[in-house]
Amino acid sequence: MVAPDEGVQSIDPDDVDAADILGSAIERREDPALLTGDAEYTDDIELPNMVHVAIKRSQHAHARIDGIDTSDAEALEGVLDVITADDLDVPGNLPTGWLLDSLEQVEHPILAGDRVRYQGDALAVVVAEERYVAHDALTRIEVDYDRLDAVTDPAEALDDDAPVVHDDAGDNTAFDWEIGDAEKTDAAFADADHVVDLDVENQLLIPNAMEPRAAVADYNPSNDELEVHMTSQNPHLHRLLMSGVIDHPEHKLRVRAPDVGGGFGSKIHHYADEALVALAAKRHERPVKWTARRTETYLTDAPGRGHDTHAEMALSDDGDILGFRVDTKANLGAYLSTFAPAVPTYLYGTLLSGQYDMPAIHCSVEGAFTNVPPVDAYRGAGRPEASFLVERMIHRAAKALGMDPAAFRRRNFVQEFPYQTQVAVEYDSGDYEKTLDLALDHLDYDAFRERQAEAREDGRYLGVGLSAYIEACGLAPSELAGQLGAQAGLWESGLVRFHPSGTVTAYCGTSGHGQGHDTTYAQIVANELGVDYDDVEVVEGDTDEIPQGMGTYGSRSAAVGGSALVKSSQKLVEKAKRIAAHQLEAAPEDVEFENGDFRVAGAPDRSMTITEVATQAYLAHDMPDDMEPGLEATSFYDPDNFVFPFGVHAAIVEVDPDTGEIDIEQYVAVDDVGNQINPKIVEGQIHGGVAQGIGQALYEGAEFDDNGQLVTGSMQDYTVPKAEHIPEMETDSTCTPSPVNPLGVKGVGEAGTIAAPQAVVNAVCDALEPLGVEHIDMPLKAERVWQAANATAATDGGEE
Amino acid sequence: MEFDGTFGLEDVTTEEVWLALSDPIMVKNALPGCQFLVEVDDPDDVDFDALADEAAEREDPPTLPEADPEDVAERGLTEGGHYAALVQVGVGSVKPRFETVVTIDRREFPEMDASGQGSASDSSFEMDSGMTLVETDDGVDVEWWTEADVFGRVAQMGQRVINPVANRVVGRFFKQIQTELSDVGGGSSGLRDRISNFI
Repeated sequence: MVAPDEGVQSIDPDDVDAADILGSAIERREDPALLTGDAEYTDDIELPNMVHVAIKRSQHAHARIDGIDTSDAEALEGVLDVITADDLDVPGNLPTGWLLDSLEQVEHPILAGDRVRYQGDALAVVVAEERYVAHDALTRIEVDYDRLDAVTDPAEALDDDAPVVHDDAGDNTAFDWEIGDAEKTDAAFADADHVVDLDVENQLLIPNAMEPRAAVADYNPSNDELEVHMTSQNPHLHRLLMSGVIDHPEHKLRVRAPDVGGGFGSKIHHYADEALVALAAKRHERPVKWTARRTETYLTDAPGRGHDTHAEMALSDDGDILGFRVDTKANLGAYLSTFAPAVPTYLYGTLLSGQYDMPAIHCSVEGAFTNVPPVDAYRGAGRPEASFLVERMIHRAAKALGMDPAAFRRRNFVQEFPYQTQVAVEYDSGDYEKTLDLALDHLDYDAFRERQAEAREDGRYLGVGLSAYIEACGLAPSELAGQLGAQAGLWESGLVRFHPSGTVTAYCGTSGHGQGHDTTYAQIVANELGVDYDDVEVVEGDTDEIPQGMGTYGSRSAAVGGSALVKSSQKLVEKAKRIAAHQLEAAPEDVEFENGDFRVAGAPDRSMTITEVATQAYLAHDMPDDMEPGLEATSFYDPDNFVFPFGVHAAIVEVDPDTGEIDIEQYVAVDDVGNQINPKIVEGQIHGGVAQGIGQALYEGAEFDDNGQLVTGSMQDYTVPKAEHIPEMETDSTCTPSPVNPLGVKGVGEAGTIAAPQAVVNAVCDALEPLGVEHIDMPLKAERVWQAANATAATDGGEE
Repeated sequence: MEFDGTFGLEDVTTEEVWLALSDPIMVKNALPGCQFLVEVDDPDDVDFDALADEAAEREDPPTLPEADPEDVAERGLTEGGHYAALVQVGVGSVKPRFETVVTIDRREFPEMDASGQGSASDSSFEMDSGMTLVETDDGVDVEWWTEADVFGRVAQMGQRVINPVANRVVGRFFKQIQTELSDVGGGSSGLRDRISNFI
């Protein structure tokens, strides 16, 4: 919560000059519908003659299925059908969208036949006239399980005697991957004056979008057209994948995302459920609805993170980082989810240089199959894991050298851009000291250190934690992504269309689900075309309306989708300029375009507005020779590089070693996301992201028992932070425009989630340093903090 | 999950409690949600529907103190015996109906161990349990423990929900046993002496 007199103030768009619309903190135009209930979520869709499905899920994390008896369920009044694997006559295998050389691809059936591999694995689908009847019928399905031992931890899964999840991958190794230079890194360690090491668990998190996953499918047998309305972050991708999974022609499949209540990555992936709903609609030729119960989302939404890591850093006496060595075991869960192989590899290993000039890095990652739900991208996806590890190691390294953590960072920051890291990527631009200086100002850092020393004398434990994070957004270009294993391009399409009256509709292949694209894209297009902001409408999330698209994830929408709209707007202005020149009887090169007006240079009276040109383009009464009527343009924008937002987040905490309680006294977020299209939306993204990051640091974590049973399977057992858990945040920013894209933007959707955990954990470790605490694994629940504070204290006491 | 506890029964003897807790009829009556508890030959082949039908038609014989201790001892749990039970218990928002089979692994006065498993449509459990009777100044303490693996819907709710349910079930069970036994020692029929002879 930012106090009313702080933070960015929202502005009514009517109070903004057209020329200033880009970069103004105007109110989000999508909010009235969301706040009043006028929004249309998937579950709001009611179609005539609609039936409902419920999905029978495995109660065991690992079992052979000796039989499924559906007769009792089928006998229940109102039940139309119970579908099991035996009834399927489609490929029904969920594909993996990112391949690695060593990847062990395993079958991922939409309905499990003879084996289930996680609690929640789908076994059967009930189709019934009423939703409650469908769920009642689930309890009448008799499944004959032969339970098998389960394994949920990636390191344990890679042990020789671990239960085998897939017989085809007998050692549970999904892949074995590395990046960087092992020899060079070994040499750096051989020359090191100091080596620090750390074992870190980055716990498995459950996404918890406010709206559970849902789908409504409608099939028209007369023309073979199938419509699927669903909670999607990427409708075109879902269409492509689903067309293969259910063997339905892509051009006769429409996927549409209505309003979507949050995703955080969990609505990128192609799950079994939505395909099953589509199949049920085809089978019964009636509209079919499915909405996950909250307990189902806990069992089946792809969790994120799940790393066990050992890391070592080589240092010189002077305080230089010489080398960084990382060995990670990553949990992939029971099957390979859509983009799972990319997350702990290219989205993780490539970020291990952090903001630092590291001359040698080597990282190896073993992906492990386990009996937990398939793991995939969750807000930040690989980059939070990297940033947490780097910043915890930096904190440890500074302490080991007896240096101040801020000074140690400053000494090792990358100074020159572009910067080629030792882990493949090239940073576009940055000014890392600037965000650090600003964060230290907010903290009044030197004064805090004095206050901390005084407090320690009084037996109080205050600490400050810094997090100098970096992330990579807008994955690109497609050619590079393809070389790295992506089975999709990572461009984005944008269509900008003038209507004859002069208003505009912009279509983009991204698919917002809370980010405010209707507002920001309209700002971009209004600015490019010089038309009134209110005259621009934005359309996303419908494969029938939008040429193509890759969706919204990885903080790519502004950088890639926004840039596609810029490119289309520019093409459109070029055409409009030629029409204007023709009608103004001037050469096109003599016509200037500014704020929506075409003027003949040197003859200011001879002008046309772009909306007048639009009307003329559709009248087509007086067009240049060989020019087609109409005024619209489509672009497929494929960026030249990633963009690299960065910043420094910092927390000041007080820890009570007697109770293990943590009080966040101050939280500062200084972010550089390049140019800001809408500072209010940027601030909101930071707020939400930090809340999720603090959630990971202090509260969240999926826990399984020895049998692979999820014991944190509800909101009562899994702590999503509530308003009372989130401290006031001071947000600030610097601006280093990205040279990669025409908007100079870098992406902000994940920044807070990436930055926050290590700010908090570093602060707690700083606070408890006098008690000998070096590291506590997240979440920092009071019990863990108390144990860490007191275990070390007890040992010290004993020795004395 | 592990559960354990001690329940104190007043004005009873160890022998009475032993006999009562060995009586499938008494146990069935005391166990909340238990529709039947009968001995079966093959623990892997139990027709619960048929047993439920039989149970519905059957009139149970009397239990202590009305029952003849000899009859109770005769029908009592035996070491190595398998017993089928149908138990419905509300856990949070669900009320699974567990088809349960229990085997008496060890039965040596005053200690008894049992193992078993139960399954419902969306939940199941496997458990090992034991109890020891300890004579106290004013009665008997039943010390009991259970180690259970719980699966499915019920497991998802976690120990937070299951613990209170377990405590409620166990508490009601022993309260009912206490009620049934309270007349045993009070009567003048010499029942107490007759019971002690069976141990």
